[in-house]
Amino acid sequence: MTPELTALALAGILQAVQLTVFAVPANRELGPDWTAGPRDTPHRPLSPVTGRLQRAMNNHFEGLILFTLAVTVVTLSGKAGAFTAACGWVYLGARILYVPAYALGLAPWRSVIWAAGFFATLAMLVAALL
Amino acid sequence: MSSELTILALYGLWVILVILAQVLAAAGQVGLPALAGPRDDMPPLTGTAGRLDRAQKNSVVALALFAPAVLLVEARGLSSASTLLAAQLFLAARVLYVVVYVIGTPWLRTLLWVAGALATAWLYLLAI
Repeated sequence: MTPELTALALAGILQAVQLTVFAVPANRELGPDWTAGPRDTPHRPLSPVTGRLQRAMNNHFEGLILFTLAVTVVTLSGKAGAFTAACGWVYLGARILYVPAYALGLAPWRSVIWAAGFFATLAMLVAALL
Repeated sequence: MSSELTILALYGLWVILVILAQVLAAAGQVGLPALAGPRDDMPPLTGTAGRLDRAQKNSVVALALFAPAVLLVEARGLSSASTLLAAQLFLAARVLYVVVYVIGTPWLRTLLWVAGALATAWLYLLAI
C-alpha cells in the first residue's frame, strides 16, 4: 500500500474515532430517547465542548471528501511520489491535531492547523494535474 | 490521466476555491477572531457569506456523489465520449451553480443543480 493510501485509511479511522468521541457525550447530554428517536424536535443545546467536537467532526467530513478525491486522482494517474506522500502525512497529522485544538478552543491555532490540512490537499490535487 | 479524472481533479480544485471564498466572506462578516475561535456562539451567516456557505456545502455533497461515478468508469475502463460529455456537463453545471447562487438568481440555480444531478446519474448508468 502506498503512503497516500495508508494516510487515507488512517484518516477514515480517525473519522470513526471522531464520531465516537462526539457521540458518547452527545448521548449522555441529550439522552437516548432523543438520539435514538426520529429527532423531529430540535434537541436542547449541547455543552460547549460537545458542540466543538460536533463541528470538528462535520468539518472533517468535508476535508475527508476532498482528501479522498486527491489521493484517488494522484494514485490512479500514477503521479504519486515523495511530495504527495508528504502531503498525505501532513493532512493526517493536521486532522489529528485539529480535534484537540477545537475542543480546547485554541485560537488561532485551530485555523492554522485546518489550513495545513487544506493546503496539503490542494497541493496533492495540483501535483496530479501538473 | 484520462479526461474524466482530470475533470474530477478540476472540480476538486473548484470546491477548494469555493471554500476559500466562503472563508473570506465569513471573515468579512463576523471577523477573523470569531472565525478562528471555537465558534460556540457563532451568529448565522447572511447575504453573500450565507449564500457561499450553502453553495459550498451543496458543492461538497455533489463532489461526494460525483467522485465514485468517475472512479467506477475509470476502474472498469468504460471511458467513452458519453462519459466524457457527462463529466463535462457536470463540471459546467456545478461551476455555474455557485456563481448563480451568489448572484441569487432563483430557478436558474435549481435548474443547474438538476443538470449536475442528472449528469451524475447518467455517469452512474454508463458505469453499470
